[in-house]
Amino acid sequence: MNRKLIMTCVSLVAALALGVTAAIAGTVRGGADPGVTDNSILLGGTAPLTGPASQYASVARGAEAFFKYLNATKGGVNGRKITYKYSDDAYNPAQSVPVTRQLVEQDKVFAVFNSLGTAHNVAVRPYLNAMKVPQLFVASGATTWGRDYSQYPYTIGFQPSYQAEGWVYGKYLARTAPGAKIAVLFQNDDYGKDLLGGLKRGLQRSKVKVIAAQPYEVTSPDVASQIAKLKASGADTLAIFATPTFAIQAYQFANKLGWKPKHVINNAVASASTTMQIASSAGQNKLVNSTISIQFLKDPTDPKWKNDPAMKLYRSIMKKYAPSANASDPLHVYGMASAWTVSDALKKAGKNLTRESLRKTLDTFTSAGNPFMLPGIAVKTAGKDHYPVEQMLLQKWQNNAWSSFGGLWGYRAS
Amino acid sequence: MSRATLKTLAVFAALSGVVFVIPAFVNDFRAQQFAYVGVYVVALTGLNILTGYTGQISLGHGAFMAIGGYTTSILMIDHGVKDIATIPFAIVVAGVAGVLFGLPAARLSGLYLALATFGVALATPAVIKKFEGFTGGGTGVNLFGTPELTASLTPVEIIGFGLDFNNWLYYLCWTLALVGYVVAWLILRGRTGRAFRAVRDSETAAVSSGISLTRTKVLAFGISAAYAGAAGSLFAITTTFVNPDTYPVTLSIFLLVGIVVAGLGSLKGLIAGAIFIQFMPLWAQNVSKSPGAPAVVYGVALILLILVLPGGASGVIARLQQLVRR
Amino acid sequence: MAMFSTYIAWTLTTNHGISYWPAFAITLVVSFLGGVGVHQAVIRPVERGPQIRVVIITIGLLLLLNGLAFWIWSGEVRAVSSPFPAGTIDIGGVAISWSDIGTIAVCLSSVLVVSAFFRFTKIGLAMRAAAVNPSEARLVGVRVPWMLGLGWGLAATLGAIAGMLTAPNVFLDPNMMQAVLIYAFAAALLGGIDSPIGAVVGGLILGVGLNLLGTYVDFVGSELKLPAALLVILGVLLLRPAGLFGKTVVKKV
Repeated sequence: MNRKLIMTCVSLVAALALGVTAAIAGTVRGGADPGVTDNSILLGGTAPLTGPASQYASVARGAEAFFKYLNATKGGVNGRKITYKYSDDAYNPAQSVPVTRQLVEQDKVFAVFNSLGTAHNVAVRPYLNAMKVPQLFVASGATTWGRDYSQYPYTIGFQPSYQAEGWVYGKYLARTAPGAKIAVLFQNDDYGKDLLGGLKRGLQRSKVKVIAAQPYEVTSPDVASQIAKLKASGADTLAIFATPTFAIQAYQFANKLGWKPKHVINNAVASASTTMQIASSAGQNKLVNSTISIQFLKDPTDPKWKNDPAMKLYRSIMKKYAPSANASDPLHVYGMASAWTVSDALKKAGKNLTRESLRKTLDTFTSAGNPFMLPGIAVKTAGKDHYPVEQMLLQKWQNNAWSSFGGLWGYRAS
Repeated sequence: MSRATLKTLAVFAALSGVVFVIPAFVNDFRAQQFAYVGVYVVALTGLNILTGYTGQISLGHGAFMAIGGYTTSILMIDHGVKDIATIPFAIVVAGVAGVLFGLPAARLSGLYLALATFGVALATPAVIKKFEGFTGGGTGVNLFGTPELTASLTPVEIIGFGLDFNNWLYYLCWTLALVGYVVAWLILRGRTGRAFRAVRDSETAAVSSGISLTRTKVLAFGISAAYAGAAGSLFAITTTFVNPDTYPVTLSIFLLVGIVVAGLGSLKGLIAGAIFIQFMPLWAQNVSKSPGAPAVVYGVALILLILVLPGGASGVIARLQQLVRR
Repeated sequence: MAMFSTYIAWTLTTNHGISYWPAFAITLVVSFLGGVGVHQAVIRPVERGPQIRVVIITIGLLLLLNGLAFWIWSGEVRAVSSPFPAGTIDIGGVAISWSDIGTIAVCLSSVLVVSAFFRFTKIGLAMRAAAVNPSEARLVGVRVPWMLGLGWGLAATLGAIAGMLTAPNVFLDPNMMQAVLIYAFAAALLGGIDSPIGAVVGGLILGVGLNLLGTYVDFVGSELKLPAALLVILGVLLLRPAGLFGKTVVKKV
C-alpha cells in the first residue's frame, strides 16, 4: 500500500514538471494594441444583465444602440466601426473580475467601457491599469475614479460623483432653508455614504445640520423602521439617498406615518419619472410634490424636451436599434450620453489609435456638444481635475414631471 | 482489495497527468477558468463529505468560503503574509468555525438543517459589513498587484520556469484540488468514512453500533468547512478582490447544486460538478442574452438533469465502468 | 411562485382591465392549478428519494420562475393597486392604515379557512394523514401523491395571497419576495411548521419583534435585522424544534 502511494506521488511530480514545462511554451507577448484594426474598434464592459440590479442593464443597452446608429450613419469613428461587447456579471464583483479578464485576455478588447457598479470596477481597476487597458467612463458615481486618478491613470469616471451631488444638495439647503433640520435615509454602502458625506460637506459652513441618518441594507424587505426613526427625530427635511425601490418605499412609509417634511430631496439614481410616478401613488402621495433632485441628462419623459432634436434622435435610435427596450427609461439616455462621449474621445485620440494615445487624450479632454446632456454642462478634464462632469441642474417635481430651475451648479473637487 | 486500490491509484495518476498538461493546450484565459474549476473541486470535495457521505444538507458553505477568503485577505493586507502561506490559516479558521457550527447543528436534520445553514449564508454578508473595521466592509479589499500576491504583476519562477498569473493560479488551485482529493479519499475509506456513511444511512443503526452521532457530525462539519475555507482562500487569490458580495447566497446554493450534479456519496463526479458550476451560467448566456433567459435555461437544465440523471455524474461514470467491465 | 402569481394578478388588472377582486380570485385559481402542476411534473418524480434532490429541484424552479418573470415582464419596478382605501384611522393614538387592517383581515381569514379545512373536512384529514404516515394512509385508500399535490396547490395559493398583499407596499419586481422569504421561514418555524395558527402568531411576533429590535436597539439597527431573524431560527430549532404551537415529534430510537 505504501509503495503504491509513493508511486502515485512520484508520477504526480513527474506530471507536474512535464506540464509546467509545456505551459511555459504557450505564452506569447508583444504586438500592436489589441482590439483595434483599420476599420474596427472593440470595446468591452460588464453589466448586470441578471440578478438584483438588472434594471441598470439599460445603461449598456443604450450605449449599444448608439454605437449601432453611429456605425450605420457615420461609419463609426475615423473610419472604424465600434463594436461594444458587454457581458453579464450579475452585479457580483466576484464575477466582474473573471468576465473583465475574459474581455481583455480572450476577446482582446481595446478598452473597457461603461462597466456598471462601484465595487465591480474597483475590483478590476488595479488589473486593468497594470495591463494598461483603458477603463473608460465607469458607470458609477463613486468619487474614487477622479480622486485616485494619479494612482490609476487609465481609469476615468463619467457622471457627477455622488459626493458632488450630495454637496449640491447641502449648498442648496444652506441657501434656501437656513434653519432646516435634515433626516437622511441612506443605503448602507459606498453609494449611500458618499451622498451623505457630500451633503455634510456642502452644509459645512452653514447652520443647517443633519440631525438623523438611518442606513438600510439592500437585503432589507422594507425601510419602515428607518422612516419611523427619522420622523421621530423631529426633522423637517427628508433626504433620500437610495435606489428606486427603497426610495418609493420611503415616500410610502413617510406618508403612512403622516409625516409631512417641508423639504424632500431624492437622489438622482432614484428619481426617474417612472419611479416618481409610482411613488406618488397616482396622486395620493402628496409628498412627492416639490421634491428636489439633480439632473445632468435630459429626461425622456420630460415634456420640455418633447420637440428637442436630441430627444427625437434618441427616440428614433431606440426605435430602430433597441425596439424591445423601454424608451422611457432614462438609463438608456445615460448610456447614449456616455457612448457619445467615448466616441468623441476616440475621434480625438486620432487616426493612429493606441491605448496610450487615448489615455493621453483623456488626460486633458474637452468634449462639447453632447446632445443628451443638459445644455451648458461641460465635459472636461484638465490638470489635477479628472472628474469629467461636475455640473448639474437642480430640478423640482411639479405637475407630475421634473422641471429644472436655477443655474448650473458646479462642484470643484478640492 | 489491493487490486482495486491499485486501479484507483492508476486512474488518479493518469488524471493528474492530464490535469497538469492541460495549460499547454489551452490559452491563458481558459487556464484561469479552469483554475476556478479547481477551486470549486476543493469546495465540492468538502461539501460532498458532509452532504453526500454524512447526509447533512448544507446550504451555507459559501459562508465558510467567505471565512477562508477573509482570513486570507486580512492576513495578506494587514499582516503582510504571502498568499500561499495564508491558506493553512484559512483552513484552520474555517475548520474551527465548522466545528463550532456543527455542535448545535448536529441536533438538526434534513430540511431544518438546510434552513439553518441557508440562514447562515444569508446572514454572513450583513455580519461582514457590520464589522467593517476588521473586514474592509462593503468597499472590499483589493489584492491585485500587492506584493503578497504571487505572479499578479510579474511571472513567478518555479523550478527555473516562469509562470504568468493565469497559469500560476491554475497550478496552485489544481495542486490543492488533487491533494484535497487524495486526503478525502484516505479519510473516507477508513473508519471515519464508515462512520459518516453509517450516520447517513441510518442514525438509529449508527447509534446502536456505538458511533457517537454528535462527534461524527461535528467532525464532518469541521472537515467540510476546512475544505471550504481552502476553497475560499483560493477564490480570493484567484479573484484578487474580496468583499461581502463576492460570497453571496447564490454561491452556497450553487455549491449544493454542484454536488448533486456531481453525484452524492462519490468522489468520481466532482470535476463534472465543478465544471457545471463554472460553465453552466456562461453556456446559458450563450443561448440567449435577453433579460431573464439565462436563468430560465439554467433552471430548466438543472431540473432536467436531476430528473434524468438522479445519480449525477458519478452515476454516469459508474454505469460506464460497468459497461467496460463487461 | 408567490411573485409569479402576483405578476399574473398585475397583468390581469393592468393589461386586461379586470377589476381587483375578480382578478384576485382568478389568480388564486391559476396559482392553485400551477402549484398542483408543479408538484405533478417536477416534484413527484423525486419526492421518494433523498430530500436533497427535492431541494435542488426547487432551486431549479426558483431560478426558472425568477428568470421567466424577468423575461416576460422585465425588471422594472411596478406599482400595484391596493384593494383597500388609502388613509389611516386612529386607534388609541396610533395611526393604522386601512391597507394594514385589510391585510391582517385577509391573512387571518385565510388562516382560519385553511385551519378549518384541515380540521373539519375529509380531504383535510386525508392530507394530514398522507403527510404524517404515507404508507399507512395508502392502506386506508388515501391517494397520497394527489394529497401532496393538493398541498402544493394550497401552498401556491397562499403564496399568491401573500404576494398580492405585500406588493402594494414593497412594489412589484421579480425579486420582490426574496427578502420576505427568510423572514417567512423564521416565522413559520417559530410558530410551528405544522400549525397554521402558529404561523400567524409566529409572523406577528417576529415582525413586530424584529422591527422593535431594529428601531430601539442600536447595535442591531437595520444592518443586523436579518441575522437577528436567523438567530431566531437557530434558537427555535435548537430549543423547541416544534415551535410554539406545533406538535413535538418524538423519534423512536
